[in-house]
Amino acid sequence: MISIGFRSLVRREILRFVRRPKNTFMPPAITNVLYFAVFGVILGGRIDEPVAGIGYILFLVPGLIVLGTISNAFENASFSIFHGRWNEYIHETLTSPLSYVEMVVAYVAASAVRGLIVGVIIAIVGRLFVPISIENGLFLVATMVVIAALFAGLGIIGGLVARDFDDLTVMNQFILRPLVFFGAVFYSLTMLDPVWQYVSLLNPMVYMVDSVRYGLLGYSDLLEVAPAAYAEFAPYASLSILTVLTVAVVALDVYLFKIGYGLTD
Amino acid sequence: MPPAIETVDLVKEYGELRALQGLSLTVEEGEFFGLLGPNGAGKTTFINTLVGLVRKSGGEARVFGHDVESDYQQARDAIGLAPQEFNVDRFFPIKEVLMHKAGYHGIPDDEAAERADEVLKRVGIYDKRNERFDWLSGGMKRRLLLARALVTDPDLLILDEPTAGVDVQLRHDLWDLVTELNEEGTTILLTTHYIEEAERLCDRVAIMNEGRKVTVATPDELKTRGTDTVSVRLESTPATAGGLNGDLGAYAEAVSTAGDRLEVRVDDGGATAPQLLNDLEAAGHEIVDLEISRTSLEEIFVDLTEREDRSVTRSGTGDGDLEPGDDESIGDGESPARGDSHTEDEATQEGIAQ
Repeated sequence: MISIGFRSLVRREILRFVRRPKNTFMPPAITNVLYFAVFGVILGGRIDEPVAGIGYILFLVPGLIVLGTISNAFENASFSIFHGRWNEYIHETLTSPLSYVEMVVAYVAASAVRGLIVGVIIAIVGRLFVPISIENGLFLVATMVVIAALFAGLGIIGGLVARDFDDLTVMNQFILRPLVFFGAVFYSLTMLDPVWQYVSLLNPMVYMVDSVRYGLLGYSDLLEVAPAAYAEFAPYASLSILTVLTVAVVALDVYLFKIGYGLTD
Repeated sequence: MPPAIETVDLVKEYGELRALQGLSLTVEEGEFFGLLGPNGAGKTTFINTLVGLVRKSGGEARVFGHDVESDYQQARDAIGLAPQEFNVDRFFPIKEVLMHKAGYHGIPDDEAAERADEVLKRVGIYDKRNERFDWLSGGMKRRLLLARALVTDPDLLILDEPTAGVDVQLRHDLWDLVTELNEEGTTILLTTHYIEEAERLCDRVAIMNEGRKVTVATPDELKTRGTDTVSVRLESTPATAGGLNGDLGAYAEAVSTAGDRLEVRVDDGGATAPQLLNDLEAAGHEIVDLEISRTSLEEIFVDLTEREDRSVTRSGTGDGDLEPGDDESIGDGESPARGDSHTEDEATQEGIAQ
């Protein structure tokens, strides 16, 4: 049973970013036009051989969707929580009769929605540059929902831990973005030396990008480079692990709300 | 029916500092209850414990019988809080802010919109309903905090210094409104620095100091605890009062002279004045006029809290004592960083909003 209180908080959170498209949707749209134009058309045009058998612009699409989705889900949750703490209006939520689970799930759901909307925007931008047909639609949707929720959940932790706005910038620019860039967004793992292939497998972003690429294009790097025991089940194994991770992160969010970490004195 | 508020041995510690030191207090349903105390007394910490913004270190706290931690949803649903700080959502017009708050309390959209209009009219800022919080004047902001507390139709309304820094007109408007609400059955907990406000509005008041309850009484009872001053002008007032002590009975707690007047402090000025006049005439003094002044609640408040300070110092409970200068920020449970945030946050509001 979804309570009125829960719906109210979800709506408040969604309205906050929907009414500010210049701050929330325009930047990723413009950034991705640049990515596709510069990396896809100008540089990609000089790459004669297809990457993993796929044209370079099309190869870029899943990674850029992941990059935009998780950045925005994380940014939305962390900003909303931190800004509410900074101006203390999060007290409106904290002093309400919502349960801690409802509070957390509402913040996660709204932030995941923002991430997913940005993902769709990037897909539309990509479609302007290259034809796209979805290979595994259900798998793609499931993966997108999971990774958006995962980074919304991580964003809540970021918003609770941050002490000023600079901390949010550090998390997004210096931790999240490098991991995604080295997560096989712009290249295939098959192009790397074996040593770097194994190092890359330690980067959790690889599994997200790979799963979305599998859902969208039907191609998975992990099927090629992961150890045989994992490759046999990839990318379904990736989705399963990401789902468990998401549930764990949301449970941690609920615990932090319950003990009032960063929220109460 | 359980009390509106019931705390037993409530303790809140911030490291070495104890902002609440075993506070036991009961506020009955329907009461207008005042909480008085100097800065750092623990008033805001007490309130924030009830609404879930401060986690207690020990003791019990219940709102209408609901434990504030194990039954937090029921306890919070019963409370409407108008805090000292302007902690309002700045992204939305104020009517929507109120609708959101009502929604969190389970009130459906249509009804939330109606209630928002109603409370905005009630506090007199309905014509500003489409403005955002930052564009309101200071007085309007204060009114909005009250409207937000009222939009959920709470059984317990908590007002944390609602008239601090507001003009006389607004203060009287707020007094009228909260009196009306109390008459309609809402239990009200008011913290204030204005003694006149407590005297005028409250059925009972608790005086707090350094996290402790000093006393609980009606304003009238409190006033009887003070001494009255009977000021008598004599035809020939002696230069010093020393010679008069023997002429007056044991009722005179202190005798002094001020200009051409003799001032005698007694427990009950009205009852004692005839005896005093008789004694002075019997001692050969000719009386010109007489005035009786009662001790104000403010003087009693200062006297009680100072007496408490002295007893705390004497009893040597060093752990619980707040250091000079710490009381504002720590006693009220506010971190300095937050207290300083308003200027900067307003500056960053538009630029950083993501």
